[in-house]
Amino acid sequence: MSDELVWDKTISDVNDGILKATGKPHPSYYVALSLSLVFLIIGIIAWALQITYGMGLSGLNAPVYWGTYITNFVFWVGIGHAGTLISAILFLFRAKWRNSINRSAEAMTVFAVITAGLFPLIHVGRVWLAAYWMVPLPNTNNLWVNFRSPLLWDVFAISTYLTVSLLFWYMGLVPDIASMRDRVKGYKRAMFAFLSFGWTGTLRQWHHYEAGYGFLAALATPLVLSVHSIVSWDFAMSVQPGWHTTIFPPYFVAGAILSGCAMVYTLVLPFRRMFRMEGFIRPEHLEALIKLTLLTSTIVSYAYGIEFFVAWYSGNPFEWAIFVKRAIGPYSFYFWVMVFCNCVFPLVFWSKKARNNQTICFIVCVLVNVGMWFERYNIIVSSLVEDFVPGSWGHYEPSLTEIAITLGSFGWFFTWLLIFCRFFPFVSMSELKLIMPKPLRPKTKLKEVKG
Amino acid sequence: MNKVRNNGIVAIYRYLDDVCEVAESIEKRDDFKDHEIISHTSYHELIHIAEKKYGISQVRWFTLTGALTGVFTGFAMPLAMDYDWPLVVGGKTAGVYSLPAYVVFGFELMILLGAIATIVGMFVMGRFPNPKATVFDTRTTDDRFAVFVPGVSIDSQQAKLLKEFGAEEVYSTT
Repeated sequence: MSDELVWDKTISDVNDGILKATGKPHPSYYVALSLSLVFLIIGIIAWALQITYGMGLSGLNAPVYWGTYITNFVFWVGIGHAGTLISAILFLFRAKWRNSINRSAEAMTVFAVITAGLFPLIHVGRVWLAAYWMVPLPNTNNLWVNFRSPLLWDVFAISTYLTVSLLFWYMGLVPDIASMRDRVKGYKRAMFAFLSFGWTGTLRQWHHYEAGYGFLAALATPLVLSVHSIVSWDFAMSVQPGWHTTIFPPYFVAGAILSGCAMVYTLVLPFRRMFRMEGFIRPEHLEALIKLTLLTSTIVSYAYGIEFFVAWYSGNPFEWAIFVKRAIGPYSFYFWVMVFCNCVFPLVFWSKKARNNQTICFIVCVLVNVGMWFERYNIIVSSLVEDFVPGSWGHYEPSLTEIAITLGSFGWFFTWLLIFCRFFPFVSMSELKLIMPKPLRPKTKLKEVKG
Repeated sequence: MNKVRNNGIVAIYRYLDDVCEVAESIEKRDDFKDHEIISHTSYHELIHIAEKKYGISQVRWFTLTGALTGVFTGFAMPLAMDYDWPLVVGGKTAGVYSLPAYVVFGFELMILLGAIATIVGMFVMGRFPNPKATVFDTRTTDDRFAVFVPGVSIDSQQAKLLKEFGAEEVYSTT
């Protein structure tokens, strides 16, 4: 696609344009950062209160012991998926449009997975005891963790995902940090020289860097598919009606990519204006991202349909009862928000005009994010409130503490992301140059040399 | 890099085809020993030249070693811990191991150690981190290409040849 693009910038504009804008963002950047900090502080206060007074402050109680916190965990892991998809899978497919947005998607992945990692800790209440069941450490009771539990699989999957995403993201940054080093003096130069590992851009370095980057992409591709599959096994390996189904892994992966793509768009569009990157992140690149969102939305819609069909076709009355109640029971509001946001609203993207209208795309992408949060809430809560024994049925609504911590997680995520974008280029300069016209000798000069 | 290694000439190029031509020409010559080509990004034309010069990257062996170590560790760790403290559930007596459950650990650690080993391979083969690395010309991380030839002077034949290939500037680093 980018081959046919007519760029009004040349590769000589890349470093100047991106690094100058990184240093001086639009005033709206500081508004966004202040808002994020306010949300973060609300979340910290709520968590501190929960630690002080106990889990009674949350709405968690029998029979719903997994509620908003696990919803947030699954939601943020899902958000993190688009980063690796865009970085690794689209890299292997040689989709050139990824080069303008891969850095922001990778940063989003790293901070989203860190945010997700907080929720099991928040969820267990006494956070200081979490290491006993999460990490196989020798302890005084001579006990090891349970390797047959999907929860432990998840610990390994998420920590591997975070580590590999961090490595992938940072290795991509190295040549750009070297560019920053070469523009400054004094202690900043020493700092960037340290952070860029003494990168000089020799042919030898690029040769092994490219090979290594390819291997990292090849390793990250099955990883991205496995992580949300393993997250889905947290549910699917149980015998709970509404959870115990084989469609969960692909359904979760498609949903994760849908929410991740929508979140990348939600972030890139305002950031592109804040940092004046319109010349580098082209409308055509944004449209390609919207097409990917549309594709994953159709897969998710298909998964919703198949899930319902299998619940009916299986003849299992408990399974079918859960699904009927999801649609018309006390939690039907969450269900229909999910259906409209994830399946119906994205249909507008079939129109090219709508795909190129950034306001429409932004609104629909925000709605998709809302819908994906509700999807996780719907899966978790509606299955837990009513299980096999009617005597143990209950009701669950998130408490103010849970809502405050959820808002705090958004504050935490955006604060880190905004800080990153302020100090490091959120468009990969070295990779962007690869999709711009190559610096080739003008034809007139070529004739002169040959002549 | 030591001081002697930094003595030489640097030719700056603006165009990719110029630097590719000069890279292919000087590769065959004995009087351009230990030269370095420097680029601001990884144009595949240059990577192709690098492959001819250095062969297929050996980073792949690091990746393979890391990945195999990860698979082994991923199965060995839960097996050893199960042996140390058997969890007798679901009618499985001690000594009967749940290998299918351990596939997850084998897979995840294969990816994890494979990725870490790949980074180590990039560092070792690319000869960095290098705190004493010399940045020959700061324009090479912006929009220019450079050729550095150690141990030759600005008046040499090599400098003239680099200029003939379209260098914008040739200067001595001494």
